[in-house]
Formats: sequence, C-alpha cells, structure tokens
Amino acid sequence: MIKKIKISKSEKIIFVFLIILASVTLGSYFVIKNKCLFVKNHNPENINFEKPENIAILNAPCGNVIIELYPNVSPKGVERFKTLVRSSAYDGAAFHRVIENKLIQAGDLEFGKRDNLDYGKVGTGKSGLGLIKSEIDTNFKYDRGSVGLARTYKMDTEDSQFFIVLQDEPLFEGEYTPLGKVLYGIEVLEKIKFVSRFHIVPRPDFINTLKLLD
Amino acid sequence: MILFRAILLFFILITPLKANTIYNLIKIPNLEVYNIDSKNGLRYLYATKPFRLGVNIKKNINCYNSDKKTLDLNYRIIKKNLDRYSLSFLKKINLKYIVLCENLSIAGINTAGIPNNKTRTLILDIKFNENYLERAIHHELFHIINDNYKELFNDNDWKNFNKKDFEYSDCSTCNDNWNLDQLNDGSGFFTEYAKSTISEDMAEVFSHLIFYQDEISIRDPIIKKKILFIKKIILKIDDTFNF
Repeated sequence: MIKKIKISKSEKIIFVFLIILASVTLGSYFVIKNKCLFVKNHNPENINFEKPENIAILNAPCGNVIIELYPNVSPKGVERFKTLVRSSAYDGAAFHRVIENKLIQAGDLEFGKRDNLDYGKVGTGKSGLGLIKSEIDTNFKYDRGSVGLARTYKMDTEDSQFFIVLQDEPLFEGEYTPLGKVLYGIEVLEKIKFVSRFHIVPRPDFINTLKLLD
Repeated sequence: MILFRAILLFFILITPLKANTIYNLIKIPNLEVYNIDSKNGLRYLYATKPFRLGVNIKKNINCYNSDKKTLDLNYRIIKKNLDRYSLSFLKKINLKYIVLCENLSIAGINTAGIPNNKTRTLILDIKFNENYLERAIHHELFHIINDNYKELFNDNDWKNFNKKDFEYSDCSTCNDNWNLDQLNDGSGFFTEYAKSTISEDMAEVFSHLIFYQDEISIRDPIIKKKILFIKKIILKIDDTFNF
C-alpha cells in the first residue's frame, strides 16, 4: 500500500512562489513586447486648433502625431506636402532613416512604400511631382519636434521626403526647408523602430495614414 | 538565394559608425559641434573619434580626434584667421563648415586641409606644422574659391606669367620638394611647393597675400603679376573683399 505524502509548509510556499514568478514573467513579456503601452494617443477631435486648415495628423504604430504646418514660412514646401497628403501618398511609407532620439525620416514614395520597399534605393526615391526650391528661413529654430523637408546635399532638391527632429538641432537652421512643428505626440515618434549602426532601418515601421484635419 | 540577399543587404545597410545628424548634413562621421555662433556664419565641428572618408570603397582620407587642450588652443588660431572672411564672401565661395581634427592625410600623405565645395566643408589639420598652420588655412580656403570659380582662374593666363622654360609637375605630390619656406630667388614662386601645380601656385600666392598683408614686399616681377591676377579675380567675386 502506497503511503500518501503530505506536502510540507515550505514546499507549499515554494509552489506558490513559482506560480507567481511564472505569472509575472508571462505578464512582463506582453508588457515589454507592447512598446506603445505607455504612449498617450492624442485624439485631434478633442483639441481646438487656431488654424485647423494647417493641421496634419500622422498616424504611426503607437498613435497620432499632430503637426502644425507653417505655410507663411515655406509656402511652396507646405503646398507640396499638403498635395501629397491629400492624395494619401504618404500612407504606407516607411520611416526609413531613424537616428535614435535624434531624427526620423520618411516619405520616399518611390522606394519606401510598404508594398514596394527597396532597401538598396530607399532614401533616393521621388514623388513624380518634380523638385522644389529650398525655402530657407534663418529665423526658424530647429528645436525638438520641428518638421523639415529633406534634400540631397544640394539646395533646391526638396521633393516628398520629410524629417522630424527629436532633439534641438541648431545646425539645421538655415539648411533645411521648415514645414512646421509637432504639437502633440512626439513620444509616438520616439517609439519608431531604429537599429544602431544602420543608416537605413531594416524591416522599418510605416506611416499608417497621414491626413489633413480639414 | 534569400540568404545571399540577406547577407548582401546587411553589408549594404550597416555602417562602421553611429550615425548622427551632422553625418546627415555633411557626410562625415564622429563629429560634434564646437562652435556655431561665429559672426561670419562658419560652423566649427570637431572629431570625437578618428574618421575615414572617401569615394566608393576606397576610403583614403583619414583624420584623428584631438585632446581638448590642443583643440581649444588651435581653434582660437584658426578662428582668428577665418574671421577675416565676411559672411557674404563665405556664402559666395560656398563655405560653411570647418572640421577640426589632427593628422589629416589623404592616401597616406599628410595635408593641412581638404576642401569639399559640394558639402561646403573644409577639414583642417589643427596640428599641421605650426610654422605654417595659419598661412595654410588661407591656402586651403583658396582651393574652395578655385573649385567654385574655375572659369575665372584661367590656367593659360597663369602659365604665361612664368619663365618660358618652366613646367609644373603632374600633381601636387609628384614633386619631391614640398618645402613651404619663402623663396627669395626671383624664380617667380613664393615656395618650392608652389612649383607643383597651377592650383597650388595660386593658393600659395593667395595665402601669402592674405596672411602677410602689408608686410609683404615683392621685388619679383612674376610674383607681382600673379598677385595682381589673384586680387583682380577675388574682387570680381566680391568687390567688398578687403585684402
């Protein structure tokens, strides 16, 4: 006859401890995996804007980024940007260049779209609408959240690609055409995927949608 | 095939540096801002680590970071010399960024500076021979001017100033004698190095003109002609330029 062994008190404690440890480990896995967990998603419908016609809403993996455009600073640049936003051209475009805590760049409509991503060429693509002239405003401060049009090392080569700086960049002043500034949701951009030592992000995050408020 | 493409992409995309926003702007890695508030708009950057540059795979330009004491000391010297150029002149010659580093070399040959008019950058070796550093700054700056206004600097006109039997070398480093000491031998050249190429000869004339200003007394008729030539063109580029 087999004698029933009674569980000791210390064994019970160890068992409960292991159960708790397993639960915490499993829970942590899902918390860590969800990079957007503590990122606030701003709803533009709950915000009053002075100039709603100049508000663009970029929806990224972790939520909305609300951008105010400055047509008085760079009329041609903003006009180009609005034209592309209205045609939904930026939807599905990759954040192809991301420098941790410094800069994110997107808007290559030729080689940087979700369904047609070319790692060898991304960053060199065009919109098909032609290049526009640089509109340099030396008084525009490239502080955190500033949005500018990207270009090659030559002036007057702006097209569709744009960048947003995640820290103050005084060196950019007088260099790039300003588009506007992020009003809300810069923390959303800090969660965009980057890879150290890669100047182009492999398997990047994408813009879900980019729309004008009006 | 997929594995091959993945490996290939890895080598295309990875860089041996941690990119920053300065790299985005002038394509030189490992730089930080030293001073960007100069009156003439020049932005001074310095190397925080060694860097290598070059076209395609051949990265044959090397430069190294300096210690803070050397950097601070030489920055003052370099800035004092570059402050002689106005904002409007620097805009005309397309120069905006000064990169400070030491032991600058191209293809293993030490050099005082490397200009790049596309990125509006002049890399300067702050530990270049201290006897010539200040003059070398103006020499290298001239190459930026020359690159931007090639059509104004006519090589044939310049060659005609020299004695008939004189021939320049094929390149600036083809000649064995790179001495930068001033010659006073009536040969029509400021230094031995000036005999290497037309562009180096012009740069030597410009740098002597700017660095020595009124102290320079020239008896050599060839050098006198060369000085007039350079002055005329610089004033054509910017009629407010003060020699």
